[in-house]
Amino acid sequence: MTTPTTSRSTGTRATRVIGIAAIVMSAWLSLFGLVLSPADVAQGDAVRIMYVHVPSVWLAYLAFIVTAICSVWVLVARGRVPGVDRVAGASAEIGVVFMAVTLVSGMLWGRITWGVYWQWDARLTTTALLFITYIGYLAVRGLEGSPEQRARRSAVVGVVAVAEIPLVHWSVRLWRSLHQEATVLDTDLDVDIDGLMLFTLFVGVIAFTLWFVWFVLHRARVMALAALVEERSLDEALAERAAEVPAGGQN
Amino acid sequence: MPDLTPRPAEPMPSRRRRRIGPILVLIAVVGFGGWVLSNLRTAVDYYCNVDEVGVRDGCDADRRLRLQGTVAEGSVVASTTRTEFDIEFEGVSVAVRYAGEPGGIFNECIPVVVHGVFDSDTEVFLGDRVEVKHSDEYVSVNDERLTAAEESACSPSA
Repeated sequence: MTTPTTSRSTGTRATRVIGIAAIVMSAWLSLFGLVLSPADVAQGDAVRIMYVHVPSVWLAYLAFIVTAICSVWVLVARGRVPGVDRVAGASAEIGVVFMAVTLVSGMLWGRITWGVYWQWDARLTTTALLFITYIGYLAVRGLEGSPEQRARRSAVVGVVAVAEIPLVHWSVRLWRSLHQEATVLDTDLDVDIDGLMLFTLFVGVIAFTLWFVWFVLHRARVMALAALVEERSLDEALAERAAEVPAGGQN
Repeated sequence: MPDLTPRPAEPMPSRRRRRIGPILVLIAVVGFGGWVLSNLRTAVDYYCNVDEVGVRDGCDADRRLRLQGTVAEGSVVASTTRTEFDIEFEGVSVAVRYAGEPGGIFNECIPVVVHGVFDSDTEVFLGDRVEVKHSDEYVSVNDERLTAAEESACSPSA
């Protein structure tokens, strides 16, 4: 049996570059978000929460879309693409973290502007539902079964769950909501936002995207190492068991 | 004694047939979802606009409502125990009496959602919760268009 050699770190030159870029962009985001960008005429400084809230929800959507694309790939390959399955899982995990950031930052923003942390209106309820769905997806990934079975099972959930994203996005158009309609992703192309605010928002999106890529790469590699350890433990256990059995005898 | 004679095996459904089932289920689920969404409209809508009281289904004046309108300019009267103001939408105005001080970024010319009931004698809307519904526009405090934005702020748009 050959013992695979592994690096002690999940980092590579590429992840280090991405990590440094993410730190630099986060510093830029802090500078623009907290100092250089102006306060809003109605919301005052509370508008600065937008620079975390909006990028985090966009990245959560992106993460879940990546999970869905990988899930389709897994289904087409009948679960025999463990690397792709790991990216699906890692992306969903990071997406859930971003969605949690979205919910918490949204609640804080809501308390300052609306006067309440939470209301069960269409946007907030569908967002909470999306969050819970992907927690369910992660739970499905943890169910028993062979790696191929687990990959195929969770891929089905990953493909179905992504259909909630348009519902969340369009909920403010489908129904009347306490939440405002989209400003930047407005289908009427009526983007009514101050130029420096918009620039700061895009700095936030770039920073969060870099963090997303960095986290997914590392997490997928950690998952690969965990699978390797599990496999090696099994091999070692089998070898130990074989050594216990006397040659030609039964135990 | 049961008949144990071997019977001919049931023919396996073709691959195409096996795929039709899930597709039909998917179409049924999407269709049902669309039907539910279109019929949930009034049930899921968070509020009634001021001009819809007694007109729109679910916006009856004798039930508890969430009422949306823009706080009328110059109408806010605040005392130590309550705040009174008018909210208006599409030319219809309603007087609101709220027991307390509204939170959030409450101000004149800003759309709000008031939770409460109508006083059947005075037709004043007795609110027990006020939520501010800010718009999707973000204008800098230093913006040259500020004056124009303030001037147009009282034009209800939602």
